[in-house]
Amino acid sequence: MTKGERPSTIWFVPLLVFALVTAVTGIVFAKPLAQTSDGEALFKEKCVACHTIGGGDLVGPDLQGVAERRSNEWLTQWILAPDQVLASGDPIAAELLAKYKNVPMPNLALTPDQVDSLLAYMGSGATIGGTVLPTGDATRGKALFVGDKRFENSGPQCMSCHSIAGIGALGGGSLGPDLTANGYTKYGEGLAAFLGAPPTVTMNVVWKDTPLTPQEQADLFAFMKNASVSGREPGALLQIALLAILGAAAWIALAQFYWGKRLKGVRRPMIERTLAAAQK
Amino acid sequence: MDIRAHVSMVFHLDKCIGCHTCSIACKNIWTDRKGTEYMWWNNVETKPGTGYPTLWEDQEKYKGGWEKKNGDLKLKLHSRLKGLGNIFYNPFLPTLDDYYEPWTYDYENLFNAPEGDDQPTARAISMVTGKPMDNIEAGPNWDDDLGGSPIYARNDVNLDELTEDEREQLNELERVVFFYLPRICNHCLNPGCVAACPAGAIYKRGEDGIVLIAQDKCRAWRMCISGCPYKKTYYNWASGKSEKCILCYPRLESGQPPACFHSCVGRIRYLGVLLYDADQIEKCASVPDEELVAAQRAMIMDPFDPAVIAAAKKNKISDAMIASAQNSPVYKFVKKWGLALPLHPDFRTLPMLYYVPPMLPVLAKTKDGNYDVDGAKGENTFAPLSASLPAMLSSLEKARMPIKYMASMFSAGNVKVVEDVYRKLIAVRIFKRAQTVKDYQQAEVDAALAAGKTDAEEVEAIFRLTALPTYEERFVVPPLAREVAVEAWEKPLDRKTDAGFGVRNKINRRKF
Repeated sequence: MTKGERPSTIWFVPLLVFALVTAVTGIVFAKPLAQTSDGEALFKEKCVACHTIGGGDLVGPDLQGVAERRSNEWLTQWILAPDQVLASGDPIAAELLAKYKNVPMPNLALTPDQVDSLLAYMGSGATIGGTVLPTGDATRGKALFVGDKRFENSGPQCMSCHSIAGIGALGGGSLGPDLTANGYTKYGEGLAAFLGAPPTVTMNVVWKDTPLTPQEQADLFAFMKNASVSGREPGALLQIALLAILGAAAWIALAQFYWGKRLKGVRRPMIERTLAAAQK
Repeated sequence: MDIRAHVSMVFHLDKCIGCHTCSIACKNIWTDRKGTEYMWWNNVETKPGTGYPTLWEDQEKYKGGWEKKNGDLKLKLHSRLKGLGNIFYNPFLPTLDDYYEPWTYDYENLFNAPEGDDQPTARAISMVTGKPMDNIEAGPNWDDDLGGSPIYARNDVNLDELTEDEREQLNELERVVFFYLPRICNHCLNPGCVAACPAGAIYKRGEDGIVLIAQDKCRAWRMCISGCPYKKTYYNWASGKSEKCILCYPRLESGQPPACFHSCVGRIRYLGVLLYDADQIEKCASVPDEELVAAQRAMIMDPFDPAVIAAAKKNKISDAMIASAQNSPVYKFVKKWGLALPLHPDFRTLPMLYYVPPMLPVLAKTKDGNYDVDGAKGENTFAPLSASLPAMLSSLEKARMPIKYMASMFSAGNVKVVEDVYRKLIAVRIFKRAQTVKDYQQAEVDAALAAGKTDAEEVEAIFRLTALPTYEERFVVPPLAREVAVEAWEKPLDRKTDAGFGVRNKINRRKF
């Protein structure tokens, strides 16, 4: 654009058309968010990672008979927004938190209707969960974790978001928590069930449509159980330090090779050279 | 034929007394700002010497200018690919020490010092760090008058061509023989700085050939500093932009010569328009070393030739500009008389600042009160001075500053070109001396004129423009007519309706 001309405003018209088309198609074709109100299906999707009904405690308590233990209002409040209840200093919530290794119940973003149907299901006397997983193989679990072996339902390898001890010095992604300390150490045996249907907001989105098979679940659990016992080995830290030093040295060597003939001052070397020659 | 006009310059080194008035005039106007303390857009060097920045002529170190590679003209600095590799780190920059650490003096202490046993002193203060500098090691004219000659003069790059014997002789003489070399930006026709700039910030003005750095486009890559073999672009550390001599274009546009020209005490500087053929630039910059000066002279066109005038008019060069070119002292010195030579044509940037080389004494000895050039007058101690004069003034072989040294500076090593210039200068001297002192025979004068390939009329003209030029003869500033030139890229009336005349930048009333 030459100076003095008025800037053209035509550029945003195609942008506007594009935005409109995208918005309209989005509205028409978007799948409505799955709002299942079937209590059993909902429990399988959201709760089984941490809870059973009649199958014993996992990360969270066994929910058999919970309707008798707690009031309906309290349960509704708790399932709707456990974080708020915890924050309000509710004594029952605090006690539960302490009992279950300080793992707070996540806010599952459920609607009141969904909570009602969940409560109905829990009160119906059905049992669920506590299925015994097949025996896991830690080596296979590691292969799954780092992506050497694909998940059967094409889920992403854990390493892309998580790091854990025992997968090499460079570790994995840092988007999710490091599972060395936040895996088995934190959740204990409940971790196995968690892997089957992770309920947290991020994990749920990623894994809802591509769940692990029970065998994969068991393998991964076996691997993570092994890996998390010791925490990160001091050797691994040394490995990282060494890699960093070697890498830096390689860069410096490369730069020296490329820029070795750079000008390092002219006047001073000239004077030193001349004085040295005069002394001879 | 693509005729363009160029505001060009001639420095007559014979007249330079090395007073640095030009440097001070320039510094006071342009480079007394923060970040420019170390810059001398105009500087004066003593030759032999290493100059400013130190050893700037040594392109093996600084990689400035052009070189011929497989027949093609390439920047010595880098190829395009290598330039990309070096873009974040240019390895061929002079350090501040190679320029010098600029300093001032704590003058206030002279007034404010508490009473004591000694006189208060003004300590040197670094203009970069603000701390006292008690050990000043270098300055922009450190080898001034051969002050540092055992080190500085001895390392002059132009001495490389000399034999060991000649260098030894010069070492003996260096305390008494030297000359001055004032330098500004050469506003080259094939500028290395323009070619090296990755941001496209440097340009050569179409109407007058002044090379400028657009301060709003400069991105501080500093490739121009390496690309310029004369080291005449400088990096302003405060503004983060590179700067250079602007040939005082605001003065030129109002009809005045640049400040360094105007203030020159020795009146060594001439300014005027040259018409040149832009089609020849690449060819001219590619010829072998020994033909460079001839090729550059061939590029400059005769402003009286009707064909040239027609071609100039076709390129929209105004009548006033052509008239100015016809009147140009630079045209006379460079092309008509062939006396002025480009500085280091071997850098192949086609500099448009030309130098008339200085006449320097010849080797001789005083014997029994007589100044005796070897073999010129034998043993006759009472012979008149004139007997030794022709030899003294014409014996180029015995010039104290070897011709090879001058050739290294002014003709890419072509001794013949420099000799021709000197023979003509000698002819002028002998001719005028015969006129005023009358101690030459007519035969001697005729011989000198023949050797200089000149005649009485030309010699008179050279003498007149060398010794007695008026202000108007030295500085033929063309009407630059910016108000017309600006129409090439901007419509003045648009600007008027947008912001009113006199507002440089358009007012942006609407925000998107």
